[in-house]
Amino acid sequence: MTVAAVVNEKLLALPEAAAIALRMKADHYFDVIRALLDMFVEKKNLDAIYVTSTIPSASILNALEVLEIPLSHVWFVDSISQIMMSSGQKHPHAIFVESPTMLENLMLKVEYLIRKTKDRHNVVILDSINSLAIHNNTKILSEFLHILVNNLRSREAYTIIFSMEEYETDEIRNMLNLVSDETIQVEG
Amino acid sequence: MAPLDREKPEERERCVTGVDALDNILNGGIPRGNTVLVTGSVGTGKTSLCLEFLVHGALVGENSLYISATESSEKLLRNIIPYDFFDRKLIKDGRLVFLDLPVIYERLGLEKPEFDFEEINILIGALGDVVDELKVKRLVIDSITSVCYRLKTQENIRDFILKLGSMLSARGCTSVLVSEISPAEERYSLYGVEEAISDGVLVTGNLERRGDLLRTLQVVKMRGTSHSRAKYVLDLTTVGVLLVPLLKGGSVAAGGG
Repeated sequence: MTVAAVVNEKLLALPEAAAIALRMKADHYFDVIRALLDMFVEKKNLDAIYVTSTIPSASILNALEVLEIPLSHVWFVDSISQIMMSSGQKHPHAIFVESPTMLENLMLKVEYLIRKTKDRHNVVILDSINSLAIHNNTKILSEFLHILVNNLRSREAYTIIFSMEEYETDEIRNMLNLVSDETIQVEG
Repeated sequence: MAPLDREKPEERERCVTGVDALDNILNGGIPRGNTVLVTGSVGTGKTSLCLEFLVHGALVGENSLYISATESSEKLLRNIIPYDFFDRKLIKDGRLVFLDLPVIYERLGLEKPEFDFEEINILIGALGDVVDELKVKRLVIDSITSVCYRLKTQENIRDFILKLGSMLSARGCTSVLVSEISPAEERYSLYGVEEAISDGVLVTGNLERRGDLLRTLQVVKMRGTSHSRAKYVLDLTTVGVLLVPLLKGGSVAAGGG
């Protein structure tokens, strides 16, 4: 069974508007993204809001285009391009936050996109807890996750939080346990 | 002992601002007829917040008036955020009206740099006439600071705001007075009396945290309703003003001010 198929099978069993910690190895990164978008955007007809603090949205967009994944219902909140001082290639589906330390602004941009896509329900993908932990201390990050997840739950949106096993610490595990309804371990 | 429900003050009718998060903070909106001071330094979103308040009012059929004291309405409209919900027809239909205060001064013959008691009454009377004529239910004066420049003394400013507030309240008009302060200011208005007389005070600001600059909003006072006094971070977007709680990070010092 492929990684994408395993992830798909686990996602199918999820309750509505669940918050899920998705633990994976870096090798499985694009397989997981593909499986998520296939499940939530294609099968469940949701709009995906992809919050990246790991790699620039332009790189993910390029990869998704190569994988021939339709982008009309995928939106990006990119908090890493500007801090890298890159010109931040403009894309109609990407909005930028100056830095991953501006956690409130991440929430505001997610809220903005939820309102812009109000005709459809949402899945919010947070990529990743590990990269956010590089830029923020545990207390403020826990507070951020707690508010974000509860807000999304009240809006009937799914929350998927990526965690790269190679960079997990006990603090990150505790944080994920606190806010997630379930943990999916990606193995393959 | 009186039952609990008798201890509750009677709920006042609300003027729903249309900014969802702000209405939640205020438990349903601004109590109708209140005069609210929106105060903050430049670039903190005061004018955008006020415009949205007026546009939402016009959309629900409440005639709304924006009196600009500093920049011309024409210039203001050129730079307005392209709100998804804004319809220029509101202006055409007279639901949303823009007036320039210098034009009002000129028509009233108020050309002196300093107003006396009588001239204050003339100005209040003229504003009352405009509110009556246009059946205004929401009014913004942007900014009250520039009006206060002409009033000079604290007594005159107190007198003007008190008269203005009661004139508008008697007409069921909810008003917002914009006050400009410098970032270092420790009070909520330039003259120190505006906030004491107003029914409500909303403070907007720029908060620097570890090199990041966040726009903030805090309701410090609002007569006639219970409300949150926490600080929120705001964003000015095409769907309107959005607010989220300021994260504290478990530390009192995290906010930095």
